[in-house]
Amino acid sequence: MWVLGFAAPEIAASVKAGQFVNIGMRPGPLLRRPFSVYRATGDRIEVVLKAVGAGTAQILAMREGDVASCLGPLGRGFDLTRSARTVALISGGLGVAAMPIAARDARAAGLQVTWVHGARTADELCSETDGDDVILATDDGSAGFAGTAVAAAPDADLVLACGPNRMLAAVARRWPQAQVAVETYMGCGTGVCLGCAVPLTRGGYDRACTEGPVYVASDVDWQALPSHLSYAVSA
Amino acid sequence: MTPNLSVEVGRLRLRGPVLAASGTFGYGTEVPLLERRALAGMVSKGIFLKPRAGTAPPRIAETPAGMLNAIGLQGPGVDALIRDFAPQWAGWDFPVLVNINGESAAEYGELAARLDGVPGVAGFEINISCPNVDQGGMYFGNDPRAAAAVTEAVRSRTKLPVWVKLTPMVSDIGVIARAVEAAGADALSAVNTFVGMSMDLNAYQPRLSFRTGGLSGPAIRPLAVHLAHQAARAVDIPVVGVGGIMRAEDALEFLVAGCRAVQVGTATFVNPNAIADVHDGIAAFMAARGFESLDDLPRYLPRD
Repeated sequence: MWVLGFAAPEIAASVKAGQFVNIGMRPGPLLRRPFSVYRATGDRIEVVLKAVGAGTAQILAMREGDVASCLGPLGRGFDLTRSARTVALISGGLGVAAMPIAARDARAAGLQVTWVHGARTADELCSETDGDDVILATDDGSAGFAGTAVAAAPDADLVLACGPNRMLAAVARRWPQAQVAVETYMGCGTGVCLGCAVPLTRGGYDRACTEGPVYVASDVDWQALPSHLSYAVSA
Repeated sequence: MTPNLSVEVGRLRLRGPVLAASGTFGYGTEVPLLERRALAGMVSKGIFLKPRAGTAPPRIAETPAGMLNAIGLQGPGVDALIRDFAPQWAGWDFPVLVNINGESAAEYGELAARLDGVPGVAGFEINISCPNVDQGGMYFGNDPRAAAAVTEAVRSRTKLPVWVKLTPMVSDIGVIARAVEAAGADALSAVNTFVGMSMDLNAYQPRLSFRTGGLSGPAIRPLAVHLAHQAARAVDIPVVGVGGIMRAEDALEFLVAGCRAVQVGTATFVNPNAIADVHDGIAAFMAARGFESLDDLPRYLPRD
């Protein structure tokens, strides 16, 4: 897992938890790649990535001083304005990326923050967690709770989750009112291509980039949302 | 001196040669960043009489220098378009053409009749080339009689400009171009996406839920330039070139190949300001070569 920082003062000043940026490079793949904003400090934003496909591999090959186009902040983030006393942040794998700003904003709103972070193994855990309570979980039991982050999480007034769609579906079963940031392929990020369709329980689709990526868990038709994205893009 | 980039496409006078292609600009209300001064016109997302949910995800897949999409013409239906979008278009300083779709020639005709006279609707682009619907779409576009029948159905219901968007999935685009010209089309948009497919090597199945999708982006540009040129050679009405335009030079290739104007699509996904960048690049090219208007641009268009 890598953290990449970009000088992006306008985005850093306005980004809210759960929002994302769409990063494009020349030379690079045709389409931009969406990333949750991991941290925003001063003039700088950070994103977290793994080399999952050709596009992210090219982003990782960037060196200090290189220039990329960062479009954002995009999407509708987590809603922290609801009246609550406690919040559970549940992240799986790269879903950790949405949580530092959520923790920051939740604390600013006076909430007691419990952050539950899960990964497959201890090696894949992100070490930079932040909360009044931090619970780690691994599928293989090599660190922290042996099992999923969802199983390890306590109940709370507000539940915010980000991670693989399979994990979010489990969140939806336990806390239908949880706010979850879904994962989809994305074309434009600005609402025009309709490529990032999210199937809704009320029928039809809307756009992860515009109405999402954060949804009330029970609003998403988890059967129809692809649970796994294959990133083998050979572009 | 600033070159004059205005063009006439049939009876429609445009302030520049660069339009937004259907399905890449929504209903014109979505992209906040574009500098609209350069936008010569917009073709709306394709509309049917009734609302359509569209296809299940995954709907897009990136490919080398391109992308496949199978959106399935998701849209709110013509009533919502008339209620929610046309009133906004009426106040804009560029024309909006509505991309119309149907499962029969009669449905296309009915859409034209419903939209004719609605303030904000400047004309039509008949979509007989969408690869991502089970009924209609591309199947009208690769049969000259069906293509002509749809064009006549629309032509008989409106006096507004009627453009026809052609599919590249034909053996001779000139045959279709001549058929819709004879049926009363004012202009042609050439071309829509190519049918493509990509396989997921983890799931051993297509990457798109619709199985196939329409290929767009720079990958198709030389194919599209060729087909737009073939269409332009075959007819007397103007051809609007579309397919993989990312930069001004790409647009100029279509213009030199005989097109009157161009549409920019997939580039807008990557660069929300692509249309303005292409327009400005054309202006810079014209100024550098000493051309005062697009009429001065040499064209390569031997007649068949």
